[in-house]
Formats: sequence, structure tokens, C-alpha cells
Amino acid sequence: MSALGDAEAARRGKTGGLSLSAAAPWLIAIVLLAGLPFVFTGGAALTVMNQMAITIIFALAYNMLLGQGGMLSFGHAVYMGLGGFFCVHLMNMVEYDGLLLPLPLLPLFGGLFGLLFAFIIGSFSTRRAGTVFAMISLGVGELIASLSIIVVAFFGGEEGVSGDRTMGPVVAGFDFASQKEVYYLTAAWLFVSALAMFLYSRTPVGRIANAVRDNEERAEFLGYSQRYVRWISFCASGFFAGIAGGLFAINFEILTEENLNLATSGSILLITFLGGVGFFLGPVIGAVVFTLLQTVLSLYTEIWALYVGLLFVLTVMFFPSGLAGVFAIHVRPWQLGKIGLLASPYLKMFVPALLFVFSAAAVLEILFHARHAAIGEEQMSLFGLTFNSHGVWPLTIAIIICVASYLILKRLAPSLKEAWDEANHGEVGR
Amino acid sequence: MSGAAIELKALRKNFGLAQIIRGVDLAIAGGERHAIIGPNGAGKSTLFNLITGKYHPTSGSVHLNGTDVSRLKPHEINRMGLSRSFQITNIFPKMSVFENIRCGLLYTMGYKYSFWHLVDRQPKLTERAEEILEQINLSDRRNLLAGVLTYAEQRALEIGITIAGGADIVMLDEPTAGMSASETDYIVDLIRQVTDGKTLVIVEHDMGVVFNLADRISVLVYGEIIESDTPENVRASQKVQEAYLGAAEEADH
Repeated sequence: MSALGDAEAARRGKTGGLSLSAAAPWLIAIVLLAGLPFVFTGGAALTVMNQMAITIIFALAYNMLLGQGGMLSFGHAVYMGLGGFFCVHLMNMVEYDGLLLPLPLLPLFGGLFGLLFAFIIGSFSTRRAGTVFAMISLGVGELIASLSIIVVAFFGGEEGVSGDRTMGPVVAGFDFASQKEVYYLTAAWLFVSALAMFLYSRTPVGRIANAVRDNEERAEFLGYSQRYVRWISFCASGFFAGIAGGLFAINFEILTEENLNLATSGSILLITFLGGVGFFLGPVIGAVVFTLLQTVLSLYTEIWALYVGLLFVLTVMFFPSGLAGVFAIHVRPWQLGKIGLLASPYLKMFVPALLFVFSAAAVLEILFHARHAAIGEEQMSLFGLTFNSHGVWPLTIAIIICVASYLILKRLAPSLKEAWDEANHGEVGR
Repeated sequence: MSGAAIELKALRKNFGLAQIIRGVDLAIAGGERHAIIGPNGAGKSTLFNLITGKYHPTSGSVHLNGTDVSRLKPHEINRMGLSRSFQITNIFPKMSVFENIRCGLLYTMGYKYSFWHLVDRQPKLTERAEEILEQINLSDRRNLLAGVLTYAEQRALEIGITIAGGADIVMLDEPTAGMSASETDYIVDLIRQVTDGKTLVIVEHDMGVVFNLADRISVLVYGEIIESDTPENVRASQKVQEAYLGAAEEADH
């Protein structure tokens, strides 16, 4: 947790009682979750939001390991995937064997299944932290992913398993055939899971997970077995990952090997890191940004994954505390009442920065088009312009704009630095 | 010697062929302030780590209030009422000062592995943590990250974490290492105050601290205890002078 979060929490502990400032973010979340479908009404938008919600739960669960417990897992897709597969089978049992399980409860069983496997695998993988844990997680991830082709009865081989969510008992008039109903179901689970994970981080075992992360030897000498602490965190994380899996099953009605493999495990690590592991909200931001890039950006460009990769590398290099960290460093100037000092340099840099980003993207797009378009297809359109990608000028112009905007940014940088130092100078009154 | 808080019987520890602890017999009575001194490389830290369960003895045994703890893990030994600090500052740097102390309290106040309590909603826990902060004079540092405290404050915090659990036996490994004279005085006062009525075992290089604080002193040289007596007798002991100063001279060459 951030220093700020801790201090805030500590202050609250002193006063006790449920304060409005503590409840406010959650009330805003409720309003936001309830209101979004009225703003983004399309079916595609609902699908994107559902995917976002699922990714948020998964990323928050993953951060219970990485951010709060200090455990780097390369195979966490396994627990979400297993929860999802189990839920598809449950859906099929509802459809064919008359199992009376209302759909809204399904993710809970996905969670319990994820918990079960986290319990089993965690029993040996959490003995040690660090590289040992990371390597075991990698091995187990590969193992389960390859099992999916071997244990066909459960994993359905290469085509996976599919089901139909609408076959269950109708709950209060909802059969969950429409996207909107599924959205509200997913949003409700998102809210409950996020709140539960937040509260978990405020329990003794959640706090001691931080302690073990920071200094496992010290924690041992406070009476805690570092292994049990890691194991418990791992189980909790597996539970919430399984819930995400259950929601995935409800949304997409199909699970395949892809839900278990290393690529999925890798992307959740990327998402969590992109958002910022040190903040509770970090994975939320990461999941939202990543899902948007994945679904919206991919409509416009084939090389969206390249941009995501670049964003990731730049974030890790320049903002190791993630996108949430970018917000967090503005808290101090805000508290000092000096945030206004930053407005002018930011505004000055905005246009060159925009030009830089778009011209750099143009260079990449032109090169990509020139190399990959079908023979004879030399016209390309970009940012509303149509031109010949094989010509010299478009590329030259793009490069010139890119270099020029970079130089302008470089010239403006010292004034930003100055404003930044000034804005952070002073004592925050308590 | 069944009344001993800590009793070591024919304790030995080898690392490969190197014999680091070579047969130590020692009894430390409850409520005693006991210092272990000796030249560099005498095995003081190893002895410490054997008592606290970080290492297991090659042979011989460690008894805590009469119970054999030679094969127990650190957290199990801690639960029997022994707490320790470290030679290198060992706190939770990314957590607030208050949070550091609170972590030291959680287990002994019965929260253990609970995930059904909210730590901020436990008035007794908060109150106790505040008391300890008061005791170690860090109340005004409460909400700072432990990692940004000064060195002396971090050492004080570590002592706070160590005593937080209410252990009867407190073991401190070079608590004044790297401190200025005034910081040392401050920490020694603090130690005396917070370990009142407890058994204290301390490893220390600063002879001023040792003779000031200890009821009894054991001198460890090359893995053996050559003298274990009151400060006056240790100071007067011919054996200690020869061995300790001899070894120190040897180390100087």
C-alpha cells in the first residue's frame, strides 16, 4: 500500500467508525457501475465493459500476490482458467442434469474451485518466495496448460468447453440472455470482490502479508510463519481469480487452452505492473487501459500490441510505480496547493507531446504498411489522410515532425523540471 | 538450573568443517541482563542465531524455560516468548512506523492469521501500539514510512518491534552499532527502560554499553565461553585479559 494509504488508514483507526471519506470511493464506484450502461449503450461497449470488469477482478487478485505479498507469479491464469472451466461444466450440469444453481451464484463456485487448486499448489509453491516461487509458478502454469490437451474430459481438448448461461432457473425475472443483464451481474461481482479484496488488505493477515513481503525474516521473529502467510495470500488470490474465471465463463460461454496459457499469465502481470503494484487502484487502472487498448485500439491498427509493449516498457522505465504512480506524484503538489504551477508547463508540452506520439505512430504505421500490404496496394489512410505508403515524402514528413516535436519537448523539459521542484517544495501541514 | 530462562547445553555448530561454536554451556537466569562479548569472528552472532532458531545446532541443545527448542523454527520460538533484534537494521521499510509496531503486536494479541478482523477497528490494538510508540519516543513519527527515519530512530523502532509482542526474553544484536556517543546513550537508556523486568541478552562491541547495562557478562572466544561472571570479575579476570586482548592483538596484525 502507499504511504498515503497507510497514513490515512492509521488516522482513521484512531477515530473509528465508518467515515464518509472512507465510504465515498465505494459510493462513487456504485454510481459509476450502475450508470455506465446509460452512457455507453451499444452491445459492443457492454462487451468491452464486461471484459474490463473481469480483468479488473483478475488484476486485483493478482496484485494480492505481487503487490501485497511480494510474490511474482508467471502462471496465475491457471486459477482463473480452472475456475472458468469448472463453471462451464456447472452450466452444462444445470442445462442437462437439472442442477438447480442460479446463474448469479456461479462465480462463487468458480472462486471455490480456484481456491481449492491454489490450496493444493500453494502447499508446495509458497515454501519459498522470490525466484523459487516464480519458477514453480511458471512450471505449474505450463503443466496445467499442457494438461488441457491431455485431460480432454475436463478441458475439452483444443476446441475447449462451451455452455449456455441462459438454461438455469430464472432469478427474479432475469434469464441473463441480454448483455445488459450480464453486465449488471458482472458489475455486482466486481463491486463485491473489489470491496472484499480491499477489506482483506486491512485485516491482520493482509497486513502481515505486507510485512512478509518487506522483510520475511523479521516477520518470522514476530511469531508468523512466512510460509503460511504466503500460502494464505495465495489461496485468497486464487479464490478471487476463480471468481473472475466464473464471470468469464458467463460472459463468453466458452473456455479454451488460451485461458490457462502463459500468454494470459504474462498479460495479467503486464496489466498489474502497468497500473502500479503499490496502489490498490493500480491494477484497476491497468486493467481499464489495457482492455481499452486491446479492444478499441485494435480496431484501428494491426500493430496495437506493439504500442502496448512500448507503453509497458516506457512505464516500467520512467514510472516504476505504474500509471497510478503518475497520479500519486501529483498528490503532494495538490496538498501544498501548488498544483497550478504545473498547469502552464503541461499545457505548453501538450501539443508537442501529442505531435510526437502521433508522428512516431505514423512512422511505425507507414513502415508496417509498406512492408505488409498486398502487392500493388500502395495507398494507405492514416488519421483521415490517404497517401502512398511507398513514397518517400510521407515517411520523411512523419520523421521530421517526430524529431522536431521531440526537440521542442526537450527544450521545454527544464521549465517543467523547475516548476515540478517548486510545486513539491514545502511542508504538508497535518 | 531449572530456573534458567535460557540454557545452552554442550552446544556445537559446524559449517562444513569449520567449527564455529565449540561446546558452549551457559545458563541465563530469568530477569537477568546478560551480555555476550568477544572478538570479531568469535561466533557471537552464530550463538545468537542458534538460540533464536535461525540455525539449528550440530549437537547439544538450547532450552527455553526448561523446554528444548533446538529443532524449532524462529516463529515457533518467538511464540514461546523470545523476541530478537538484528545486527543490521531489520524493520519493514515500506510500512509506516505505526504499522511496524502494530505488526509486532498482531500475533501475541491473538489475531494470528485472522482475515475476519479489520485492523483499524481494534481499539485495544491501536491503543497498545500508541503506548509503545510513546515508550520509544516515536509518536511524532507515527505516520512516516519507517524507511525514511534516521538511523538511531530506526534502531529505536526495531527495539519497539522487538518488545511489542511482550516477550519475556529479549535478545538484541549490537543495538548501538554505528551510533554516535549521544545516540548510544539514548538507546541504552531506552533498552534499560523497555526491558525492565525481562530477561535481556545482548551482543555488543561497545564496552561502555556492556559494563553499564549488564548484570553478567559471558566472554566468547573462538566458539567457547572462557568466562561468565559479573562485570567486575570479568574485568579483573586474567583469563579474559589474555584471551580477549591476545585475540584482539592477533586480529590487529
